[in-house]
Amino acid sequence: MALPLMLLFVFPLIASFFFAARSIFDLAGWAALFIHPQLWSGLQLSLITGLVSASLSVLAALLIVSGLYQTKWWPRIPSQVGAMLAVPHLAMAIGLAFLIMPSGFIARGVAMFTGWQTPPNWISTHDPYGLALVASLVIKETPFLMWILVSILNREDVQRNFAGQRAAAVSLGHDMKSIWLRIFLPQILPKLIWPLLVVFTYAATVVDMALVIGPTQPPPFATIVWADINDADILYNARGAAGAVFLSLAVAGVAVLVWGLVKAFAMKREWLMTGPTARDIIRPSGPFSTSWRRAELLRGVHNFTLLHTSGEGGPKGRMRSLLARFLFSKVLLLYLLVTATLILLSFAILWPFPQLWPQTLSMAAWLRVWSNPSALITSLLVAGATTATAIAIIIAWLESQPQRRDKLILLLSASALGLPAILLTLGQYRAFLLLNLTGTATGLFLAHLIPVTAYMFIVLAAPYRSFDPRWRASASGLLCSVPKFLWTIKFPLLKAPLLAASAIGFAVSFGQYVPAQLIAAGRYSTLPMEAVTLTSGTNRPLTAAFALLLMAPPLLAFIAAAHFGKSRWSTA
Amino acid sequence: MIITRRALLKLTAFAPFIAGSAKAADWSVLTAEAKGQEVFFNAWAGADNINAYIAWAGEQVKTRYGVTLNHVKITDTAEVVKRVRDEVKVGKKDGSVDLVWINGENFHAMKTEKLLFGPFAETLPNFALVDTKGKPTTQHDFTEATEGLESPWGMAQFTFFGDGAKISAPPKSMIELAAFAKANPGRVTYPAPPDFHGTTFLKQVLIEVTPDRSVFAKPIDAAAFAELAKPCLAFLDEIRPVLWREGKQYPKSQSEVTQMVADGELLIGLTFNPNEPANLVAAGTLPKSTIAWQHAGGTIGNTHFVAIPSNAKAKAGAQVVANFLLSAEAQARKNDLKIWGDPTVLDVTKLSAEDAKLFTAAPAPGSVSIPGPAILEPHASFVALIESTWLSHFGNG
Amino acid sequence: MSLVLEKLSVYLGDSRIFEPLSLTVAQGEIVTVMGASGSGKTSLLSAVAGDLPEPLYAVGLVILQGRDLTRIPPESRRIGRLFQDDLLFPHLTVGENLLFGMARGPKIERQAMLKMALQHLELEGFENREPHTLSGGQRSRVALMRALLAKPDAMLLDEPFSKLDKTLRSTIREYTYSHLQERNIPTLLVTHDPEDVPTGGRVIYV
Repeated sequence: MALPLMLLFVFPLIASFFFAARSIFDLAGWAALFIHPQLWSGLQLSLITGLVSASLSVLAALLIVSGLYQTKWWPRIPSQVGAMLAVPHLAMAIGLAFLIMPSGFIARGVAMFTGWQTPPNWISTHDPYGLALVASLVIKETPFLMWILVSILNREDVQRNFAGQRAAAVSLGHDMKSIWLRIFLPQILPKLIWPLLVVFTYAATVVDMALVIGPTQPPPFATIVWADINDADILYNARGAAGAVFLSLAVAGVAVLVWGLVKAFAMKREWLMTGPTARDIIRPSGPFSTSWRRAELLRGVHNFTLLHTSGEGGPKGRMRSLLARFLFSKVLLLYLLVTATLILLSFAILWPFPQLWPQTLSMAAWLRVWSNPSALITSLLVAGATTATAIAIIIAWLESQPQRRDKLILLLSASALGLPAILLTLGQYRAFLLLNLTGTATGLFLAHLIPVTAYMFIVLAAPYRSFDPRWRASASGLLCSVPKFLWTIKFPLLKAPLLAASAIGFAVSFGQYVPAQLIAAGRYSTLPMEAVTLTSGTNRPLTAAFALLLMAPPLLAFIAAAHFGKSRWSTA
Repeated sequence: MIITRRALLKLTAFAPFIAGSAKAADWSVLTAEAKGQEVFFNAWAGADNINAYIAWAGEQVKTRYGVTLNHVKITDTAEVVKRVRDEVKVGKKDGSVDLVWINGENFHAMKTEKLLFGPFAETLPNFALVDTKGKPTTQHDFTEATEGLESPWGMAQFTFFGDGAKISAPPKSMIELAAFAKANPGRVTYPAPPDFHGTTFLKQVLIEVTPDRSVFAKPIDAAAFAELAKPCLAFLDEIRPVLWREGKQYPKSQSEVTQMVADGELLIGLTFNPNEPANLVAAGTLPKSTIAWQHAGGTIGNTHFVAIPSNAKAKAGAQVVANFLLSAEAQARKNDLKIWGDPTVLDVTKLSAEDAKLFTAAPAPGSVSIPGPAILEPHASFVALIESTWLSHFGNG
Repeated sequence: MSLVLEKLSVYLGDSRIFEPLSLTVAQGEIVTVMGASGSGKTSLLSAVAGDLPEPLYAVGLVILQGRDLTRIPPESRRIGRLFQDDLLFPHLTVGENLLFGMARGPKIERQAMLKMALQHLELEGFENREPHTLSGGQRSRVALMRALLAKPDAMLLDEPFSKLDKTLRSTIREYTYSHLQERNIPTLLVTHDPEDVPTGGRVIYV
């Protein structure tokens, strides 16, 4: 049962790989690629923006998560991060662009004081270095990595182990910073490899965000490839295919290189065990202090507390949590600003510079959305169906297959996400064409199922596999049947990761643009497809309305997952 | 709404008589076959007014001919060319595209690769109304003979626009545009090719700086083009430092330029639809003080068409739709500034007085006041050379 | 030099977890704390160590080697701890675990101390082994040695023998006590098992 189900995911994926790999052999495409004037400059831009944004995202995510770990802010993180995850990349880019562009909100605010009548010559969006692109990627990817980190740290077994190890390390003289660096991180990082690879590949190969906010001459290489793949000219198609392969190789090469460097650093393990950080810093405070305390005590002032450090860990710990809260609140603020901007834009018909408020407001965009909800309905149906199918596939697999086989599916999932989407799409399109699946609902469904299953498997496999086997043992002791055990014990206990994975799957499906356009030949119009076609036009209110509409259902899914996923038994 | 429902019904009743073609019998067979068919019309969907117009056309063909029209929303027609080619290659007979909005190099590609059904266009009853004499581009798409493989839909002519409150004397030639850009540094630009507005801007420069324009009617090779392009590149280099972002970055599309004009970041926008500025004024996107103009020496004009892929499933239905799109009523509605503002391909003098009246409209803010002559598109072989030459000169900032 | 508790008690809001406790643990002395489950034995140890989890808080005074620990963060208190689990860090080797708490200093000295410790543990050659490849008894000894290498001024033992099997239990117990006494370390031991009480040692009930 599990195997044929899994084939729904595996077969189209392998077919896609196969056809993507075939484009390696088109020599004309390669020849054209290597004389493309923007090959090296565009590639350099892609790799650097990818690397910088991935590094900054992981740094920010670690700073925030480590600073807030087990403080009173900790329990609220999943729902807040979930809400941020729901904002589509495209919506973020559109909203952020309107904040920072020369005719955007910030410039209008400045103009109030400087009296500008025309927008300044700021190079804020489409800057040649890709800084705006990096910024929007970091804002989008930090919550994703935080989500992963929080879900690792909130696992029951990890919580238990880390609490003990932390107490042990404290008693050996290490403060929280040292414990994060030497105890927690080395154990978490191996689990972060795939998410990091996904983030890096995404950043280095993103098309839609790059078009909205990225550099244009040269543009990131992925946008060149995407344009080539969609061109009418066969030679350009071949060049695009070669470009997709080349970009994938470059991304993989850089990833391996960086991984090698990190590993080489980790191999020099001395930093792991340079002695304790705190032990010899603070000297005994001497008899004076004690006698002073004693005197105080004798005077009856006895009600003072001993410092307890759960979470904050002294003044340095408070600084860290302050920094973490500062960073986190700024990220949250940006999401709120972007959302507010999109809401305003969706009503603003005419809004000349330097006015702070639109000159003409209109409901037209929303009426238009309301009058034709078919794209929304299609997207909801597809997202619901693929998420449900994916969870069935994954649970069937995890329940029936030995854990060692997970590696294969994890590898496939990771390559489905870690390989540039453009390459995979190219192969998928060619495969589906031969299978006569283009332009069909089945094709659309299967094309959505691939990323949804891949994401959900990666998110779900680890918590599912680490489910304490003793539960099963004690349940068999109670003569409990397998389905009954699953429904009454295992699923409720794994509620949080199951719901979280479903929310992610739903959001991933909801945000897919390429399948509807390329695989379904536009015959089934989905919400992102409408949104992207609209961004090629001039109707900004409608684009903003669609961006908001893209955001709402995944947002609801994440909020629901965070709400219903709360454990009723947890006491920590 | 100008057209009342009653007027619509009357028009329908007259349509076959106006067409009055010898093939009336064949046509009735075709409409019978079309009944109940589902036509997937692949058309650029970046403008909501155009989408709304297509939706209207869908309602009409449904009630009149029982043909279901589905608008497949696309961002770039090149996607469709590729898709049809790929489908034909793998032998897919019931193709996913029945009708496509097309012109220029995309048509050229589909025609040379024999991906088009036809000839069908000139046997459509309503084709008799087309102004093939006054508007020769209705039969020559980028100098390529259409040979009935595509049916004309609307007219286009390269047009500039901006806010009349900020522009006292609009530049009426590329030389004047250069002077304007120098006087207003950072406020003028053009979209980067392969956006076809960007490519057309470059064609316009090329034509204006080339003394002998006969070269544009014939195919050209890379060596000849390199020679021809020299004055054009010199002109572009000259204006580059005063362009938006000092000519190091270019907007990716015409609509981005339009948005920046609306926001006040740029002073001059460009479009292929002379009525787009007026339409955007009517929609409220551009201010009422907007003006539009064409160069005194003329600007590039062309026609856009609809075509039927060779592997289309609903060929009869597609022809019925194409014919409806050529009807006086559909063309008049499309011509209406408040609806779309896309100029008609019809010869209004061939129409009945009543129909002709539909095409008269009071001048609206944002309209072109003194039209410049239409210049024919250079041969389709110029497009790829213009794009690659531009890219190697300006592609790296 | 000793570990002194003065009127130490732990609160949850207004309710007291255990009655104020005053106690002096002399150098090399092992004082056993006994009491029913939930009587606050572990809270007592946490209050001394300084890492009571919120919202618990402690009232009173802890004085170690003459210094008042009130405002000293737990990692700087020089108090070693052993737990029910050995809590060896799984991503570090046996040698690295032992070095983890050893004071900073020249590499050669630290390595020499590590070598001595391994000899003492009779685990020469185990330096690069992963903790999970060791037997339960070996791991307990490594955990003790790790704590001792950090040169604590006091030790807190939180039922460290409860998970060991019977035969191993007494050996490890003797091993632990002899080391603590040899080093003159004042020790608080929490346990359920009367057998754990060292001969002639004081027992406190909470």
